[in-house]
Amino acid sequence: MTGFVDLYSENDTFLHRLDPRVKILSVLLLSLLAFVLSTLYSLVVLLAFIFLLLFLSRASLSRTWFALRFVLRFMTLIVILWPIFDSAGTPVWATLGPIKITEPAVWRGFTSAARVGCLACVWYILMFTTSQRDLVRALVRMGLRFDYGLTIAISLRFFPSFMATIYSIIDAQRARGLEFNRGGLIKRSRKYVAVLVPAVVSALRTADSLSLALQSRAYGAKARRTYLRQLKMRRSDFAALAIVTALFVVPFVAKYVFFVHI
Amino acid sequence: MIPKPSIDDERLAAFRDVDFTYEDGTEALRGITLDIWKGEHIALVGGNGSGKTTLAKHLNGLLTPTGGNVIVGEFDTCKEPVARLARTVGYVFQNPDHQLFCPTVTDEVQFGPRNFGLSDSEIAEKTDRALEIMTLDHLKAEPPMSLSLGDRRRVSIASVIATDPEMIVLDEPFTGLDAKEADELMRVVNGINREGKTIILITHDMRVVAEHSERVIVLAEGRLMLDCRTRKVFSESSLLRDSGLTPPPVSQLAHRLGEYGVSPETLTVDELAEEIARLMEGAK
Ligand SMILES: Nc1ncnc2c1ncn2[C@@H]1O[C@H](COP(=O)(O)OP(=O)(O)OP(=O)(O)O)[C@@H](O)[C@H]1O
Ligand SMILES: [Mg+2]
Repeated sequence: MTGFVDLYSENDTFLHRLDPRVKILSVLLLSLLAFVLSTLYSLVVLLAFIFLLLFLSRASLSRTWFALRFVLRFMTLIVILWPIFDSAGTPVWATLGPIKITEPAVWRGFTSAARVGCLACVWYILMFTTSQRDLVRALVRMGLRFDYGLTIAISLRFFPSFMATIYSIIDAQRARGLEFNRGGLIKRSRKYVAVLVPAVVSALRTADSLSLALQSRAYGAKARRTYLRQLKMRRSDFAALAIVTALFVVPFVAKYVFFVHI
Repeated sequence: MIPKPSIDDERLAAFRDVDFTYEDGTEALRGITLDIWKGEHIALVGGNGSGKTTLAKHLNGLLTPTGGNVIVGEFDTCKEPVARLARTVGYVFQNPDHQLFCPTVTDEVQFGPRNFGLSDSEIAEKTDRALEIMTLDHLKAEPPMSLSLGDRRRVSIASVIATDPEMIVLDEPFTGLDAKEADELMRVVNGINREGKTIILITHDMRVVAEHSERVIVLAEGRLMLDCRTRKVFSESSLLRDSGLTPPPVSQLAHRLGEYGVSPETLTVDELAEEIARLMEGAK
């Protein structure tokens, strides 16, 4: 159940050790790059580079597959549907009634799918090489207000236990003879009230005791916050940031300054 | 080691070589074989994570074995829907807040009988009885969510009693109750047991086990460590300790006094007092 929300897997590779701020910036830059690039070839090269990173960070095959199989399905859908709705360009490959399948549209379908693949993989790398605590810490150091950071951290932390509560509630109601898979749509959705109400009540009770716990540790007291763990950029962090920046800037300049079709 | 039933006993549940592995690979039950007879008062004990809840959830089909068989009544739990098994086995969950959702206590208690499609008069009769047994009459019209934890737990138990099951599983029902509330709860549970209902009590409280249960099932790491009469269990203190359990003070004391002639099978304060009085009489 935890694997569902927390993709992080502990390991010791250079990607795991990288400063989380560098990782967040790099992922943003690479995501932008995926939009700058507009040909299938360049996107495939980017995808290959990202796969190399995946390989270097020793992603387990089964977990990666588990996390990304939905993306693959989505990509397949794009490849199939794109040419059906986009009929611009020639040559026309086939005509089925009002639908015209053209060669450039088919390539555009593949290009968009590759872009989605790039985006999903980069963000996946970030999520599974960075613990949630580090992510939040980085966001706070990058200027996010501390309370918002804490809110995000708490939400992430309690999500798995909230899911466990939901499953337990479903079990509790089934044990009282409630059958979720019987009856029509309306009848069925009414049955979920029996899950929703206890779930909300439990969440509120948790929130209530949590706020007490926070207050009793002087959260919100007026003082300058200090941090136990400091983030410090090392040489390797700067190097990584430089490489990724170059990776972004070179194609960007090539495209918008020298009008290279890339 | 399994207690012998008398001739007219009826078997309610049978576990045969049951294994259960959760989806993430946790082996929660290994090779469990046991029988549960009508009218028994059983304590299911073991350390944290020993598999008590997992075993109990097999009784109403919320979980089905990944190896072996579980028979409840005449049904194989793999083949029957939970809603059918729930008529035989009522289950009181550890946290009452995971089930309460109705606007009033009465609605809450009626929820189960309604799901089982009983007639209105039957529903009314069973609900009234359940409310009476749990002494909830004065709270009938209250919203259950706003009651105290002790009362919320009583509502959750009433809502199970109202379905009139043959067997009632109580998963750690004393969490958050004070000693008086716990004793009161046990008094009600024993009353239900005397009516011929089977009780399965999951608890860490060995004093309650010693005083009320007649049979104890001890689990450790998903295995059945002990399954016998309560008197026997607490005299096997080394096995108990291996399972992460401590006998109640009375049996510990009885054990220590063994060399003076106190029976190591003494379970309650009353029994111990009697034993000691007997010995002192003899010494005079
Ligand atoms: N939904 C689940 N998914 C995976 N593993 C689980 C799940 N529920 C329980 N387990 C694991 O199965 C084992 C047995 O758990 P179970 O809840 O049956 O123990 P228990 O004896 O009831 O413990 P406790 O006294 O803490 O209630 C434990 O190792 C637990 O971590
Ligand atoms: Mg449990």
